[in-house]
Amino acid sequence: MGGGDGHPEPESIRTTRDDHRIAWLAALAIAIHIAEAALPSPLPGIKPGLANVVTIAALVRFGWGTAAWISLLRVLMGSLLLGTFLSPTFMLSLSGALASIATLGLASRLPGTGFGPVGYSVLAAMAHMAGQFTVAYYVFIRHPALLHLVPILMTAALIFGLVSGIIVFMMLQQMRSARS
Amino acid sequence: MTRADIVAVILAVALLPVLYLHFWSGGGFAEQVRIQEGNQPPHYYSLARDQRIRVHGPLGDSVLEILHGRVRFVSSPCRNKICVHSGWLSRAGESTACLPNRVSVQIIGQDPRFDAINS
Repeated sequence: MGGGDGHPEPESIRTTRDDHRIAWLAALAIAIHIAEAALPSPLPGIKPGLANVVTIAALVRFGWGTAAWISLLRVLMGSLLLGTFLSPTFMLSLSGALASIATLGLASRLPGTGFGPVGYSVLAAMAHMAGQFTVAYYVFIRHPALLHLVPILMTAALIFGLVSGIIVFMMLQQMRSARS
Repeated sequence: MTRADIVAVILAVALLPVLYLHFWSGGGFAEQVRIQEGNQPPHYYSLARDQRIRVHGPLGDSVLEILHGRVRFVSSPCRNKICVHSGWLSRAGESTACLPNRVSVQIIGQDPRFDAINS
């Protein structure tokens, strides 16, 4: 993450403005992530994923690199704080995050007007669920009955992706009108 | 909402019925029965759907029935009717055949009970 430019500086790491922004936004995402972990879930794998609001907003405002950092830091720190680091939960969370970051990377390089927050959010949510399920199925529980869950999980992903996307859309509009 | 957003949402919505059809129809992953005639490529049928299947062999038509997750030969144009007498097959790995009419039937499942017996 940015940082030193070659001079030995044992006492402090030089940080950039980008680093601070990433740290602040990641902290926000981690807080949402942990608050959400307290909510009961109707089915393992289904949760609103509101922390992704931060990721998508960062993607729209600051670009893909910032969004990717926030997402990975959230998965790492969220798991350390919740005590799930390196457990299957963490693996699933990480695989979902990687899938959605990769998808967002491709989507943000699309020529033309490109996607807005709603499109990004839906794509990210679907990719997250697909990546997570693929790992759950091929690595952890390779049972055909599990495949019956795919449509339900993807429906939930679409709904929560839409909701998060709309939240980001409204949030960015508020920020824009607050600044002018 | 940009045009790309609308396309993304429409594609995502359109994907869902495809997923429901693919993963939920006819107990797609339930056990299946494999029916083969001679050297023809085998046909697979789900045991979850009750039906009668007519297989055309060198002697004539063998009739098979799938009912309540089981399968049997109802009739076959052979002399000994060994296939008909073998009755219902319901477990993965079980098989029977009508050799004169060159029709073989085997149940395919996730965990076949035996594929060999060692005494």
